[in-house]
Amino acid sequence: MPGKAKILIVDDDEDYCASTRALLENEGYEVQEAASGREGLAAAESYNPDLIVLDIMMESPVEGYTVIQALKHRDEYANVREIPVLMVSSVQDDPTSLFPMAGEVEMITPDAYLTKPLDIPKFLEYVRNMLGEEAG
Amino acid sequence: MSAQLVEQTPIIVIDDDETMRRACGAALGRAGYQVETFADGPSGLKRIEQVRPGLIVVDLKMPGMGGMEVIDHAKEIDRDMVVIVITGFATVSTAVEAMKAGAYDFIPKPFTAEELRVIIARGVERHRLALEAKRLRAEKEAQARKFVTFVSHQLQSPLGAVRQYLDVLLHLMGDDVPEQQRTWIRRSSNKINQMNAIIRDWLTLSKVEAGQLATQRCLVRWPELVAEVLEGHALATEAKQVTLHSEVPENLPPVIGDPPALKMLLSNLVSNGIEYNRAGGRVTIRAAVDTRTVSLLVSDTGVGIAPEHQDHVFEEFYRVVGEGAERTSGTGMGLPICRKIAEELDGEITLTSRPGQGSTFTVVLPRGPADTPAEEFPDDVPIGGA
Repeated sequence: MPGKAKILIVDDDEDYCASTRALLENEGYEVQEAASGREGLAAAESYNPDLIVLDIMMESPVEGYTVIQALKHRDEYANVREIPVLMVSSVQDDPTSLFPMAGEVEMITPDAYLTKPLDIPKFLEYVRNMLGEEAG
Repeated sequence: MSAQLVEQTPIIVIDDDETMRRACGAALGRAGYQVETFADGPSGLKRIEQVRPGLIVVDLKMPGMGGMEVIDHAKEIDRDMVVIVITGFATVSTAVEAMKAGAYDFIPKPFTAEELRVIIARGVERHRLALEAKRLRAEKEAQARKFVTFVSHQLQSPLGAVRQYLDVLLHLMGDDVPEQQRTWIRRSSNKINQMNAIIRDWLTLSKVEAGQLATQRCLVRWPELVAEVLEGHALATEAKQVTLHSEVPENLPPVIGDPPALKMLLSNLVSNGIEYNRAGGRVTIRAAVDTRTVSLLVSDTGVGIAPEHQDHVFEEFYRVVGEGAERTSGTGMGLPICRKIAEELDGEITLTSRPGQGSTFTVVLPRGPADTPAEEFPDDVPIGGA
């Protein structure tokens, strides 16, 4: 059986990081945290996770989106482009309604989207699916 | 001093008497005002429409379109426009009538240039103050909205973190924790949900009040929304053992509205219908049309609402506590939000209810244009509203 899957959590809220990390480690995943968009992009490259859990807002409204836009569209991150991204947010809307500029929506659609606080069973199911694992 | 009184837009003078026009133009011109004069209502109003003056002078007695009619049209163009009327000396009562119609002041003929300037100056000041008040009100509203948005996000964030800690705690350690303590953790988590619900509703309410919620206007087809909302409540119905039924015909004429806001409205009504129901009860959705409106009726077989409460259920934070109505987990803001959404869309929500016999909430909205005559009055839809 292959080694544990690696998950990168990018979120500046240490409480969410702590509880989400505990949840994932309990499932047997290896977890690393990044507390900002910049750290997140650097960690994507150096840690090379199998999944990224990315907070939408962080310090500024566009920080999360900047990360995903870079990961999916900028040439310098081409080698980590295939890493699936699960976006989480405490804003109760979906990304398309936050940024209704038609052109940009295409660029910033994550692979999946969940609201905080996390619905634990749903979150774990999404993680398993995005890692290509069978249901537990 | 005169320079300060000069408006940014010209003063428009409407008077059929050429001498009057020229004299007014001269008197006001000397005080530094820009003046444009017109011989009749229609031409004056056309210009008013173009330049949106802050102040106009209108002769009450004119052939063709009279002064009163000009005032009506001018006020339709801009409610804040200051109107000064010129009256004959024997028509002061007409002047009073004019003021009731919206004129700010009147000046009886004959008058001196100085008398005219004094009245105009007062009118200009009046206009300035009205605009200032309007600006301050808008600023105050914008600040209130910013405050609500900011506070609600600042509150939701830590609440979310706490709830996630509690949920993960339960998930990771649940089996090691005694039953009673496990219940405490679950109840704490629920309380946090309640707080979040109140904050979200507060935010929603403030958006509706600012006219920011139901902003789109497009054709909305109730049958589609009903299907979505009923599906979304499937879990809740299981929990309360209530069944949902739709008798809304597929060919119901569309309404003019904002889709997400109407979805929220319907969802609120259906939630209430489930929440305030008895075990084994039903929630039924029906529709009716008339020439101008489409009505959607959401009925439940719950405890009903006593007459003394019916007047108040649409008030914010109003909770019905009484026989049969156990303390439910709602925030008291669902119905006020629904009503505001309906009103924002030029519609209304009404309630019919009898204690012990359930309640029916009727949402009436303007109907959109029909595509075909057949769509206009489908056979199977009751006419006239239930």
